Amino acid sequence: MTTGATAAGTVTLEVFRYHPESDEQPSFQSYEVPYREEWVVLDALNWLKDEVDGTLSYRWSCRMGVCGSCGMMVNGRPRLTCNAFLREFLPGPIRVEPLRGFPVERDMVTVLDDFMGKLTEVKPWIIREQEQPIEEGEYRQTPSELADFKQFSMCINCMLCYAACPVYEHEDDFIGPAALALAQRYNLDSRDQGNAQRQQLIWSDEGIWDCTFVGECSSVCPKNVDPAGAIQQAKVEATNSFFLSFLPFTPPGMGR
Amino acid sequence: MPGPLPRQKSDAWWNRDWPYRIFLLRELSAVAVAAYVVVLLLLYGAMASGDEDRYLDVLGHPAMVALHVVVLAFAVLHTATWFRALPKGLPLKIGGRRVPAGMLILASYAAWAAVSAVVLAVVLVGS
Repeated sequence: MTTGATAAGTVTLEVFRYHPESDEQPSFQSYEVPYREEWVVLDALNWLKDEVDGTLSYRWSCRMGVCGSCGMMVNGRPRLTCNAFLREFLPGPIRVEPLRGFPVERDMVTVLDDFMGKLTEVKPWIIREQEQPIEEGEYRQTPSELADFKQFSMCINCMLCYAACPVYEHEDDFIGPAALALAQRYNLDSRDQGNAQRQQLIWSDEGIWDCTFVGECSSVCPKNVDPAGAIQQAKVEATNSFFLSFLPFTPPGMGR
Repeated sequence: MPGPLPRQKSDAWWNRDWPYRIFLLRELSAVAVAAYVVVLLLLYGAMASGDEDRYLDVLGHPAMVALHVVVLAFAVLHTATWFRALPKGLPLKIGGRRVPAGMLILASYAAWAAVSAVVLAVVLVGS
């Protein structure tokens, strides 16, 4: 038993509440929650739902930073509530809100249809011009080729980057950080041949060129995916491609 | 039955937190850098027309000194923020390994110092 198990009183949670069938406007409700050193904000919400108010609604699943369901605004910053310890926010109060920039279904449950649609549009899967027969074995890759995209493949679709992005907040058409990072992840994959298919959307205004490089998407990412890096790299590629298109030949190493 | 709460857009986003304020200042710093280019162009014009004394008088004016202080502060911010951002757009690989971001930033500062030393040498030798 750790010393953290000793209760040091309580901490105040200010929780965003919105039930569309009864509330015209959202409001904040304050709750006193037992303070435990080893508790995260999600533990406090689960305690509230179990002991105080069963109507409290939010998404969660794994409790270990893998599933990406429990993202919420905690004191104004997007966090996975399963790795946001209560002790970080002492003495409180701790304000818990749904992720910014999304419609709210109910309490902390956001509507993610917009993202899901955009994610599909960037075709985040390996595209082959022609599949090689199974008898010829797997598509092989060197460690260096894997390193080109591995970081961008760690995304858990938790939406924290979208909540941190002022461009996504204001531009309805912007594809957004995670979907663009995933597009770049497949474009950089040596097994993939779908670059041309993704290009029109990715290199459009709604794609990389809407990004003003605030960089907060990368700062809040719990998996160090660095969507800002993925988008800037795609901008460099798009720019190179534009200027190279004026040359009568393709310089060595520049064609892909 | 009423539907979901529509998504909210706030005009005050830039003042939410320090990273957003620094982003805005970084973008504004381009204006200060551009303004200084104008000052330099006026200097070249004055030199070309042999009107250096009057230009030096203008430079000595307190408002001009204040402008220089502001431009210097913005130029330092511009340099520091863009050097920090550089590795994100430049995933340099040497021998199949990614060069660490810190190395790229250090190299940027080293290149900056080297270019500044050359400029300084040219100015000192020329005067």
